[in-house]
Amino acid sequence: MRILVAEDEPQLRRQLAEALGEAGYAVDSAADGERADYLIQTEEIDAVVLDLGLPKIDGLTLLRRWREAGLFVPVLILTARGSWHEKVQGIDGGADDYMSKPFRMEEVLARLRALIRRASGNASPELRCGAVTLDPRTGRVRVDGAAVRLTSHEFRVLSYLMHHRGRVVSQAELTEHIYAQSFNRDSNTVEVFIARLRRKLGSAVIETVRGLGYRIEERT
Amino acid sequence: MRSLRSRLLVGSLLWTAGLLSISHMLFLLVLRWHAVFRINPHMVLLGGAVLMLAGLLYLRGGVSRIEQLRVRLIDVREGRSNRVEGTYPSEVQPLVNDLNALLGEREEAVRRAVAKAGDLAHGLKTPLAVIAQEAARGEGMGSEAGALIGQQVERMRRQIDYHLAHARAGAAGTSAGIHCSVADSVDGLSRTLRRLHAERGIVIESDVSADHTVRVRREDLDEMLGNLLDNACRFARVRVVVSSEQLEKLIAITIDDDGPGLPPSMRDEVLQRGVRADESAPGTGFGLAIVRDLAEVYGGSISLEGSPAGGLRARLQLPQG
Repeated sequence: MRILVAEDEPQLRRQLAEALGEAGYAVDSAADGERADYLIQTEEIDAVVLDLGLPKIDGLTLLRRWREAGLFVPVLILTARGSWHEKVQGIDGGADDYMSKPFRMEEVLARLRALIRRASGNASPELRCGAVTLDPRTGRVRVDGAAVRLTSHEFRVLSYLMHHRGRVVSQAELTEHIYAQSFNRDSNTVEVFIARLRRKLGSAVIETVRGLGYRIEERT
Repeated sequence: MRSLRSRLLVGSLLWTAGLLSISHMLFLLVLRWHAVFRINPHMVLLGGAVLMLAGLLYLRGGVSRIEQLRVRLIDVREGRSNRVEGTYPSEVQPLVNDLNALLGEREEAVRRAVAKAGDLAHGLKTPLAVIAQEAARGEGMGSEAGALIGQQVERMRRQIDYHLAHARAGAAGTSAGIHCSVADSVDGLSRTLRRLHAERGIVIESDVSADHTVRVRREDLDEMLGNLLDNACRFARVRVVVSSEQLEKLIAITIDDDGPGLPPSMRDEVLQRGVRADESAPGTGFGLAIVRDLAEVYGGSISLEGSPAGGLRARLQLPQG
């Protein structure tokens, strides 16, 4: 899962990127509205943490522009402006959630998880496919109840496939969603992660659809 | 001869003396014509009475406009109007124009001050967010200083929110002649709160009449209803109901939830500044105190009661606009 952090205060941007990275997300950062707009248009972003007081293009204008263009990526507004009138404007502008500064990082993480889960149409917080369960709240993966240790990239691959279970996900799409833009990508590494996941979770969990990509079957 | 009264007195004495000498001559003339043209004395009396009445009415017209000026000034002071309306005698009109210009400048100065207070508050919040994250990280590593800084940041945030809302409320009295639809505000807030409490799936029902308007700025109505509805959503089990009714010159808005409610002994307490009914629930502890202060600025009131739905009922009364 890839998150875009659009925040002009460098310290806060760094803190958010670190905390999100620790929580298992790939993080792209933007210090102004133009950069955020560029990243949203060109990259596969799964959720946005958006400050309203951005230089060049303010957050609310950006948000309205994205929604008018039919971009429905989940957006969490994180702003110093916390009056109810401003919250109504933010939500009516197309935001999915609104938090005011200062904030608790755990709450940002919890709300982002809920946004991503709802956006991919999953009702329960814990994702389950056959014997494998993934809890985005704790980042724990279990097979038949036994905990499995995954590296952060393995976790991102599994998390993306499980959020979109039942659908074929191409190698290119997986690459887009597990790496931030700044990362040097190599689509061959996806094959490596898939191979390691199969070793850790059992070979039947992730199916290869020849010429198209990978799929985790929808099973209960 | 500096006082207006002595000038008026001397002026009217001179005027009367002149008038008496002229009317004396007229009197002699009328006596002569009376003999020549046989004028009916009743007609003369009637004519004189009509002229005197007309003079009185004419005078009263002038005086009543001064009286009207007083009423309009009271309107301004009590916030029903933001300038002195109407046209006045030419001696008074320049004064009224100057007064209106002064009122305009004052309003602009207050608006600028509130905007500055807002900038100050928002300028502080981002650095506070940075400090709060560092403190939380320190606390995570067992630092006592981290925990202490975290608590203090939370206190600062509340102080900023509370005083910013107060600054806005204090300025609210100067903007008059406003009408704000209760239904519009409730609709916007319902959309927002459904998103913010999406995980809990609270149902918000609105039974607010479309023609109920209040004399409150939209931002302040949103702030009051937002705090009340947010509280209701936070404590409700499944349902929050908003309704409104007209009581003479007031609009009463009631917000009911089906949550655990609040014991009567605590209801007054939570309306006081800085007290939280439930320390463990997240959110602003000053919320209800801000609602109370804002309501009072506009000449309204807030009260908490038991709700027929089982939880708490908040009842906000505001002047009709």
